[in-house]
Amino acid sequence: MEEITLEMAEKMLEAAERWAALAGYPSSIAVVDKAGAVIAVHRMDGAGPMTTDISINKAFSAVYSTAPTLVLARMIDPRMMGPTPGSGGLGLLTQAKLRLMFIPGGNPIRNGDMKVIGGIGCSGVPDGVGEISDTTVVQAGYAAIYEEYD
Amino acid sequence: MGMNIEIAKMIIKAGIQQAREMGNVCSVAVVDDRGFLVALHRMDRAPIPTVDIARDKAWTAATFRMPSSDIGRFGDPAAPGFGFNTQNWNDRLTTIPGGLPVQDGDEVIGGVGVSGGTAEEDVTVCRAALAAVFAAD
Repeated sequence: MEEITLEMAEKMLEAAERWAALAGYPSSIAVVDKAGAVIAVHRMDGAGPMTTDISINKAFSAVYSTAPTLVLARMIDPRMMGPTPGSGGLGLLTQAKLRLMFIPGGNPIRNGDMKVIGGIGCSGVPDGVGEISDTTVVQAGYAAIYEEYD
Repeated sequence: MGMNIEIAKMIIKAGIQQAREMGNVCSVAVVDDRGFLVALHRMDRAPIPTVDIARDKAWTAATFRMPSSDIGRFGDPAAPGFGFNTQNWNDRLTTIPGGLPVQDGDEVIGGVGVSGGTAEEDVTVCRAALAAVFAAD
């Protein structure tokens, strides 16, 4: 598997949407390719308008940093700041024309060789309420294409 | 009936079907009546900028309640709208053909934007997408 097709993206969105609906939180989910460019985005009925761009930017951030946005969020946490000013991750804030997101809910998609081939992001499910969060929604999304892995 | 994700998906599906028949690759975006994105799909191998261009066209069609190609007439120096492109109130304004308002009867419930082919091809895909969905009503 070298790249994500529109068909795979739709399959991921369907599974992720089902998971978000189960949680009872309408949300937006985006799938991007290895360039961080949108392949497909859906905003479920009732989800706020801002969730679309946030989900796109989360997916982009995951591809750009090759790490879940959860990790990015930890990097700017004041408690993780080093002993000297600037040794933390605050400088990340202004990167990528302000498109980097520091909210959990965006994960990179890797192939069998651990190469990043895309990303998936979700916005709309509050974190820490119940067992479902934006992160578990995106995990449900990429679990839907498990049979593509060799 | 307002815009919802089911209608948006149907419009996009019909549009992509039409583009495929024409041998085109493109992006199709659907926005609601306020111009906010509801769904967007980019076909395999469609260029990256088509994503934002399709979205801009859909925004323009939905908020101006007219095809994006009609916006060009505001550029006439004799018309009162001349110069509105310099006001910088929104990055999404475009005059490229390929964005049409989605209408339920007389009411505009959203917009659809297509980018990927020539201007004529994009408009054809838009029309086919809307015809496939609203013929059924």
